[in-house]
Amino acid sequence: MARIAGVNIPTAKRVPIALTYITGIGNAKAEEICEAVKIDRARRVNQLSDAEVLSIREYIDANLTVEGDLRRDTQMNIKRLMDLGCYRGLRHRRNLPVRGQRTSTNARTRKGPAKAIAGKKK
Amino acid sequence: MARSVWKGPFVDAYVLKKAEASRESGRNEVIKIWSRRSTILPQFVGLTFGVYNGKKHIPVNVSEDMIGQKFGEYSPTRTYYGHAADKKAKRK
Repeated sequence: MARIAGVNIPTAKRVPIALTYITGIGNAKAEEICEAVKIDRARRVNQLSDAEVLSIREYIDANLTVEGDLRRDTQMNIKRLMDLGCYRGLRHRRNLPVRGQRTSTNARTRKGPAKAIAGKKK
Repeated sequence: MARSVWKGPFVDAYVLKKAEASRESGRNEVIKIWSRRSTILPQFVGLTFGVYNGKKHIPVNVSEDMIGQKFGEYSPTRTYYGHAADKKAKRK
């Protein structure tokens, strides 16, 4: 079992895949990490030595924002927009799409499940 | 697509002139502008602009975070108080 970047314990998967279980690391970043610490991408996490796990951990600490820190950063950015009183902030406050999408239909990701309106059907 | 850098930020000329005049006079009064499309420049920080929303001038106190955005973003043009049905549902 390997603990990288706090709580994440990726499994017996290939290293680049296992790394994507960490918030803030996708395929591209995972490949980049493997490249930087010189780990063959075909190897699995349980085949890594402690030193290799440590080098991955150090690389992430030094170069990437990840997990809680990343989540806090995004949250802070959204909060900044809301406090500014700009249009994007208003949209965040109302839980509506921020980037100019239509809201007459769709936009269900932001608005949540559809609410039934009384007497709409004939 | 983003605007070309070599053009520089777009600001209507009259906004610049008004801002400068108000800065020189030193009084902290609302500068009425209609140009929602103008970029907020660093030299506007601290001034108060009344940005027109089609009906009235909304006072906007320019802070440092606003630089690079447009005035229109701070003066919403639509009023929406929700549907009557939604309000009824909430009361219950």
